Amino acid sequence: MNTPTGSGTVYIVDDDESFLKSVSRLLRAAGYSVQAFTSAKKFLEQLAPGMSGCVLADLQMPGLNGLELQAALAKSASPMPVVFLSAQGDIPTTVKAMRGGAEDFLTKLDPKEKLLDAIRRALARGARESKARGHLRELRERFATLTPRELEVLKHVVRGQLNKQIADDLGINERTVKLHRTNLTRRLNVKSVAELTRLTEEAGLFGDGTAG
Amino acid sequence: MLFAEGKDVPGNILQEQAVKAEMQKDGTNRIEFSSEYLDASHFSGKEHFRVFQNYIGKKYDGGNLDLVVAFPSQDYMLAGELPDALFPIVPVVFVAVNEMDAPLTISKLGVTGIVQRFDIRGTLGLIMRLQPDTRRVVVIGGTTESDRATLGRIAEESKSLESVQFEFWTNRSVAQMSVDVGSLPEGTVILMSTVLRDVTGQPFNTSQLAQMLAPSASVPLYVFGGWALGSGAVGGSVVDPEDLGARAGQLALRVLGGEDPEKVPIEVATKGTPMVDWRALQRWGIKESRVPADAVIRYRPQTLWDEHRDLILILLAVFLAQAVTITGLLVQRSQRRRAEAVILDQRTEIAHVTRVSTMGQLTSAISHELNQPLGAILRNAEAAEMFLQKENPDLEEIRAILADIRKDDQRAGNVIKRMRSLLKRRSLDLKPLNFDELLAETVALAQSDAHARQVFLALQLRDKLPDVIGDRVHLQQVLLNLVLNGMDAMAGVPKSQRLLTVSAKPAKDGGVEVTVSDCGSGIAPDKIGRLFEPFFTTKENGMGMGLAISQTIIEAHGGKIWGGNNSPRGAAFFFTLPARPN
Repeated sequence: MNTPTGSGTVYIVDDDESFLKSVSRLLRAAGYSVQAFTSAKKFLEQLAPGMSGCVLADLQMPGLNGLELQAALAKSASPMPVVFLSAQGDIPTTVKAMRGGAEDFLTKLDPKEKLLDAIRRALARGARESKARGHLRELRERFATLTPRELEVLKHVVRGQLNKQIADDLGINERTVKLHRTNLTRRLNVKSVAELTRLTEEAGLFGDGTAG
Repeated sequence: MLFAEGKDVPGNILQEQAVKAEMQKDGTNRIEFSSEYLDASHFSGKEHFRVFQNYIGKKYDGGNLDLVVAFPSQDYMLAGELPDALFPIVPVVFVAVNEMDAPLTISKLGVTGIVQRFDIRGTLGLIMRLQPDTRRVVVIGGTTESDRATLGRIAEESKSLESVQFEFWTNRSVAQMSVDVGSLPEGTVILMSTVLRDVTGQPFNTSQLAQMLAPSASVPLYVFGGWALGSGAVGGSVVDPEDLGARAGQLALRVLGGEDPEKVPIEVATKGTPMVDWRALQRWGIKESRVPADAVIRYRPQTLWDEHRDLILILLAVFLAQAVTITGLLVQRSQRRRAEAVILDQRTEIAHVTRVSTMGQLTSAISHELNQPLGAILRNAEAAEMFLQKENPDLEEIRAILADIRKDDQRAGNVIKRMRSLLKRRSLDLKPLNFDELLAETVALAQSDAHARQVFLALQLRDKLPDVIGDRVHLQQVLLNLVLNGMDAMAGVPKSQRLLTVSAKPAKDGGVEVTVSDCGSGIAPDKIGRLFEPFFTTKENGMGMGLAISQTIIEAHGGKIWGGNNSPRGAAFFFTLPARPN
């Protein structure tokens, strides 16, 4: 029931070296790939885009503490779910950690079943989120191949405008509009206006603040 | 005029007369009065109240009522619900001698009035003035919510008298008390709070009670109500029913004169009138020169009174002028206090425990220090188990794990050792202690917490305790820990049952035995033997360190600590300390 699923590394961050060693051992014994760090700073320094997995972090650490690590990670290029470990949990900190999106909050004396279960869930969520991020990245790369004029035409198309209206709005010939449409559907490899609209929305191209 | 109590209650008669006298001062006799008495102490119950309400409603239906003056009991029903239901457009002025505030609903009904509190501070001041050698005050109290509110205020005020022990008699019947007051030793005084109901459920008014207790008491008795004077009590800074009635009469005239009662804030007064019974002064041999100049002396042979009448009147005038100023200041202060109380309530339990209890901080630090190596041991053991389940276990790895487990075990052991040495040698500052004082101080320290958690915390000291040798701070921590545990244990029981008692007596071997006893759910029998084990706890968020550390401290003092269940309910913890060697 606690068999590791999916890929990804468990990044363990704890200033107590003896605990760090023991929990690394346990997770390796359970079949996970593990990397251990004695401070949040050391972990964040080696963080690179595209890294995936989850983080198991002590809450009370000198320098950056667990909550600060969580905040820095969320802003980085490779956000990952965090499972917190604490020598002793207190309610306000727990609430804060959970609000920050922590996968779970455990004490160091919780049984291994609870720990392995939390890691399994965090990795699954990490994989899911990383896959979604990968899909988005790929989608945006595809849209990035369009010329500025094609993007402009696309914007009008997904609004449901006809070629003639688009031509009027942009002050260009209707036949030129048709040409841009053919080119962009071919480059994006879509079959219908419906599909085009869906992909544009998924990429968050015009609808939200990420439009580029 | 609506009275919650019967016609024969002395306070009522005096107030009724004073209200009428004040309102008829102009001599025109324009105002007609009718009085009705619910007599709630003798006839309680909803049916009686309903019948009374119907009767009043029928009798005054269309009777051109211009004003209701209510003298409500502790629940204020007579000032709020009843007149509102029967005479919704008639203004209401009430007079209440009550330790509890009028409910907000009352001021919303457009009712105004006076809430007069007992002048506890003034009365304690008078006691110390008349009898400076007082070492112990026995407080007679009752069991209703209002009785407990008064006792709570007395406990609060008692803090200002450091040299005096306060003992609260709340769990004996009035019959028992009337016997017990006969054998109190010198240096003691009796302070009579209210006993709306005693422990057997019987109701008493204060005049009645003073009459029952004062004659047989072996020491002087003090009261808060002017109506209880003349029963044998020495006196007090009392609520003067005539003065109160006159103030109510003035307020009633203002409202009759057209002032909107909704715009007149309810007055809360706490200042009393120092008043003593001359005959009681004689009985106890208290010199009259000790009586403050502003005090009213009652029942003195008339000639003396006549002789000093003018002087006293002038002094009274001065006093009244002062009282006006003081009342103003007191109102301001009570507003500030209310704001402070709100802030106190908002503090979380944990924050407060940490504030008063360094043991709380200590346990938290220690459990953090210990959980690190214990967590590592656990993880290593679990990892070893998993390695062993594999087909070809890596024995090198397992050997390394075992070595690490041993290392962490030593680390945990060192934490415990450090804690022990911290408590044993370095910081045990052994000095002769006045243990009565230490107890009073600690109980006073926990009192605000008790208030916030609505626990009634009482200190019972019967006999003078022998001096002991000990570390003041550490012993205080042990006591605080037991007191806070007791409060925690009662979090789930109804407010009216949350009684926590700290008591102490001389032990057989000459030392001291202290008991902290609660009315919570008690300790499961199978857990009693483990109470003092480190990390053993019955609380959801407990560390299981408090009692373990307490045991270390008490044993370092050469004493013993143990715990068990109370009958019929609750738990009690005991510890002893050896006597100071000669």
